Amino acid sequence: MGYQLNFRVLSQYSDLFLSGIVLTGKISLGAMVISFILGIVLAIMRQSKNKIARRIAGLWVEVLRNTPFLIQLFFFYYGLPQFGIYVDALTVGIVALGINASAPNCEVIRSGLLAIKTGYYEASAALGFSKLQNFLFVVLPISLRLAFKPLTSNFVNLVLTSSVCYSITLMEIMGVAKTVSARSNRPFEIYLILLISYTLFTYAVSFIAKAIDKRIEIRL
Amino acid sequence: MSVFDFASYAKFRWSDMVLIFRAAGLTLQITLISLAFGTLIGLLLGIVRCSKNQVLNKLPLLIMEPLRNSPLIVQLFLVYYGLPSLGIRMPAMTAALLTLSLNTSAFFAVLVHSSIIAVPRGQWESGYAIGFNKLQVYVYVIARQAIRLLIPQAITLYISQLQTSSLVSFVSLQDLTKAGQIVAQKTLLPFLIYAIVAAVYFALTYPLARVARYLEKRMGFTI
Repeated sequence: MGYQLNFRVLSQYSDLFLSGIVLTGKISLGAMVISFILGIVLAIMRQSKNKIARRIAGLWVEVLRNTPFLIQLFFFYYGLPQFGIYVDALTVGIVALGINASAPNCEVIRSGLLAIKTGYYEASAALGFSKLQNFLFVVLPISLRLAFKPLTSNFVNLVLTSSVCYSITLMEIMGVAKTVSARSNRPFEIYLILLISYTLFTYAVSFIAKAIDKRIEIRL
Repeated sequence: MSVFDFASYAKFRWSDMVLIFRAAGLTLQITLISLAFGTLIGLLLGIVRCSKNQVLNKLPLLIMEPLRNSPLIVQLFLVYYGLPSLGIRMPAMTAALLTLSLNTSAFFAVLVHSSIIAVPRGQWESGYAIGFNKLQVYVYVIARQAIRLLIPQAITLYISQLQTSSLVSFVSLQDLTKAGQIVAQKTLLPFLIYAIVAAVYFALTYPLARVARYLEKRMGFTI
């Protein structure tokens, strides 16, 4: 007799799964905000005339892109207490994920900044905008609109990567899945459901992103 | 233990470093094997994606989409912890190689597909016009142009797959990440050890990243 798939057993753990989804949401949203702000700052630094700022941002991006997120996470979670900095796992997860995702965000926002033609600078100068005003009201909004689609795909990646956070004792959806699979002894069903849910989630987000992108799309 | 407690650094021995380097070997081994298989399968899937048959060219999506849109760790656990319930048992190494290969192939297939369709239609038509058959057009006309677009992107993919391979430490394989964890727990110097491990990863991939950027500049061309 072959193995009988049984998904119904899992329904008794629905509360646990729900709390896992909430925590995944918390981690992802927090990390998104951090990575977005950091991404803008880094993109500006990489474009700046100051050589030191350019170097720092370049190094930041290269280091983050060429080391695994898992190591970055362990580095912050186990390494910081050595400096006498004790932070709870959730904060470490959010900050580490935010920092990790800042690198691809920087690249995307930077290519948005690069796409802006000199005409825009001249036009805003003609309107009497200062350099800061020009950046805040003209350059940044346009480049963020240009970067919207790749930014959303970075954010989707961030949500997928957040699953690694279970390794620092965070009971987000992956951590819940691990626990439930030990308790119910139904690992196949659980991980299959998880795989399908992540895929559906990604699809839903990219569908919405496409719809929004169509509305805010601009051609330079 | 504080970072500034320098006496504690004596606990870090050369043998620990050897352990880390050995584990780097395993990471490289896993990555190279799975990249080789992933590239082959991905090439196949990518070419099928380019087929004119509307049903056939959608088929690869069935495996590509779940692989691309879910975390690798879920895929790995599904294969390593989940499949045994169906009676399919495999050692951790096989599970890791299988998952990483399939995962790579899904991403690689997308690159192959997008590189091939980036070659303009006119190239196909002129290939047929000088009497080539389909295979000849593929090999002599399309492949050589598509590959120039493909290579820099493929290297970037390979780099990110090497980083992702760190997740195999969750299925009890002693790769670079796992070795780092072991040494960090033994020496109680996590800050130093994870910095060293990160540096080893960096050293493995940064040269490749430079090559990718160079090729992108040299080979990247707009058709």
